Amino acid sequence: MAADVHSKGVTWDTPNGNLAPVEHLPNSRSESPTPGLVEGTEPGAGQERAMFVHTQSFEDLTADVELTGSRPSETEEVEEKEQQREGEGGGGADTVDEPRQDVQAIVREKEEDVTSETWRSHKKHVFVLSEAGKPIYTRYGSEEALSTTMGVMMALVSFVEADKNVILSIHADGFRVVFLRKSPLVLVCVSRSGQSDGELWRELHYVYYQILSLLTLPQLQRVFQQRQSFDLRRLLAGSERVTAGLLRLLETDAGLMLNATMSLPLCSTTRNIVCTSLQAASSKNLVFSILLAGNRLVALIRKKEQHLHHTDLHLLSNLASSSSSFRQGEGWTPVCLPKFNASGFFHAHISYLEPSSDLCLMLVSTDREDFFNLSDCKQRFLERLKKRNAYQALKEALHSPTYPVSQVGIPELWHFVYKSKSSGLYTSPELPVPYRTEEEQERLMELYQYLHSRLHHPTRPLRSIYRCTNTENLLAWSTSGFELYLCFSPLATKALAMSAVTKLLKWIRKEEDRLFILNSLTY
Amino acid sequence: MTAMRVDAKVVMLGKESVGKTSLVERYVHHRFLVGPYQNTIGAAFVAKSINVGDKVITLGIWDTAGSERYEAMSRIYYRGARAAIVCYDLTDNSSFQRARFWVKELQTFEEHCKIYLCGTKNDLVEGDRSARQVDFHDVQDFVEEIGAQHIETSSKTGNNVDALFMKVAEDFSNSAFELLPEEKGVNLDPKKNSYLYTCCHH
Ligand SMILES: Nc1nc2c(ncn2[C@@H]2O[C@H](COP(=O)(O)OP(=O)(O)O)[C@@H](O)[C@H]2O)c(=O)[nH]1
Ligand SMILES: [Mg+2]
Repeated sequence: MAADVHSKGVTWDTPNGNLAPVEHLPNSRSESPTPGLVEGTEPGAGQERAMFVHTQSFEDLTADVELTGSRPSETEEVEEKEQQREGEGGGGADTVDEPRQDVQAIVREKEEDVTSETWRSHKKHVFVLSEAGKPIYTRYGSEEALSTTMGVMMALVSFVEADKNVILSIHADGFRVVFLRKSPLVLVCVSRSGQSDGELWRELHYVYYQILSLLTLPQLQRVFQQRQSFDLRRLLAGSERVTAGLLRLLETDAGLMLNATMSLPLCSTTRNIVCTSLQAASSKNLVFSILLAGNRLVALIRKKEQHLHHTDLHLLSNLASSSSSFRQGEGWTPVCLPKFNASGFFHAHISYLEPSSDLCLMLVSTDREDFFNLSDCKQRFLERLKKRNAYQALKEALHSPTYPVSQVGIPELWHFVYKSKSSGLYTSPELPVPYRTEEEQERLMELYQYLHSRLHHPTRPLRSIYRCTNTENLLAWSTSGFELYLCFSPLATKALAMSAVTKLLKWIRKEEDRLFILNSLTY
Repeated sequence: MTAMRVDAKVVMLGKESVGKTSLVERYVHHRFLVGPYQNTIGAAFVAKSINVGDKVITLGIWDTAGSERYEAMSRIYYRGARAAIVCYDLTDNSSFQRARFWVKELQTFEEHCKIYLCGTKNDLVEGDRSARQVDFHDVQDFVEEIGAQHIETSSKTGNNVDALFMKVAEDFSNSAFELLPEEKGVNLDPKKNSYLYTCCHH
């Protein structure tokens, strides 16, 4: 059985000559209403070269969904004042008590009874099925128990398609059902979270890319070409934790929404040593060397002309954090970076700098025989770091991976998220007291997502939006250089919010070499 | 240069969750991790030195995932291995069928790889004999037929774990010199090794 799945022409490697084409970096700098803040000059902008594929924002992810309607050129500003929003964004009060998504919970969720009230009351379900209507993945409960449900979903999709239409979403009674068709797969999200269709599509795309990163697109297509009724769970076995981790990350990490990565705050001297040491520890077939502290980027070195996509980086970092097996020794695994090139595998050497450290090094190579070369690269990197006395400083920086918002010096400012568009990096302070619980943290993320979906609305995008609720006042602002989301105490006024932006931008500028990675090195 | 010196490549094979990772953890880190199952992703490599007589032998242990997804990749993990520890769970008969698959695979592609069939989770059948699904003597017959070794271990109690790896190291030490007369240890760079493999063959 197994053999016939794999035997024919599996592209296990991404040959050197076959790396993704270089995407065009922005060279046209659009007019900006804020002098000095055009793309490339905003606080946190990288010098000269960018290290990531340049992405507009989430439309890059959903570009292939074909959201109807084109972008009008004029943008507007909007002010919203609402006491109680229903459904969208402000549903904090009536959120369901979701079980903590820790490891135990994931195990329990799989055993959940799909006819129970608990199962039905989950805020967000995610299903993946094959075009034959076979269940492939469910976030809660077991796939077997849901085969009828998934059969119905597929029937719905086919029914609409029979008329040459495409089903995108169904809105009903506080629920949204969003469909993503990615032949040979169908992905469905059933959500009560109040997120927009666009946000839910983005999340489904992530799940799709997650599957590609394990299998590659050609392999996925081949197994279904050979047998339409193939049970894909066989090939995805053991990846449940990876997917569960990703869905969790989507709810908590603004980087997945912004198409950006947070960097670990680090003094520039140490960062430079870390970067140059990593740069020096190169090997012929290395494409990316990535040093992460949790999901924060410490350093990224690239092969010349090659750019990493945020989606791929988030997938890599989620992969590393979802199995303790990388702490056991040095990991060596095939991995596809679907945004970079969905048709082949890279080979990743994944290990921690020390067994109990949070510093995870990922060395991505095109050569499946490269393990010992990369193992050697890691040793050379570590030796150099220690010789130049940067290792200790780096470890100390991990003790304060974030900063309190009070450093900015605006008392009414509770929290913010700032993305520098040209560097693809974002910075955000630690969550203040009102948002420490998991529910509150999710609620704030949902508010940001709401603002984000308004700024990036496919037909009516906004340049800025100011929104008042009972519990906080929010301001979101997008220019060609940055994207900024601010959360204020409900006592703050709009005038104060506007002046806070200027003050915050000044502060970020002052701190930029600590908060961002300003130079992008290649081997 | 700090190239890793490895004398013998050892590969752990077997169905998912039979206890390969736990065996390596017990042997290398002297611990047994409880808590939810953590799948191995791809493979994990760890080197461990062991004294055999007056020699020090470094085993380079490859712990594989055992999932079907990586099956086509598994050759890169076992190619050039001098020993394969093929694991099956004493309480799961299907895992023994899977072990037979790996044995066949090794016999076809890795003539010089010694096979050690390892029945895991011995502690579970000690307490409750009815939990045993794989008969010791059946495996013994199979092992004699294919010229392999056989051992039952428990990573939870540590029973037979050191003995297993010691046996692997001793067998390697005894055979190393007859196989490779002028080479003192093999640098298990996979490329070099495949070269070695072909020269031994032809
Ligand atoms: N009772 C018992 N459980 C074990 C033993 N070895 C492994 N396990 C359990 O079996 C499961 C799978 O173990 P693991 O080593 O990760 O399997 P692998 O997939 O083959 O690497 C885990 O939940 C372990 O705790 C053992 O010797 N005794
Ligand atoms: Mg394992």
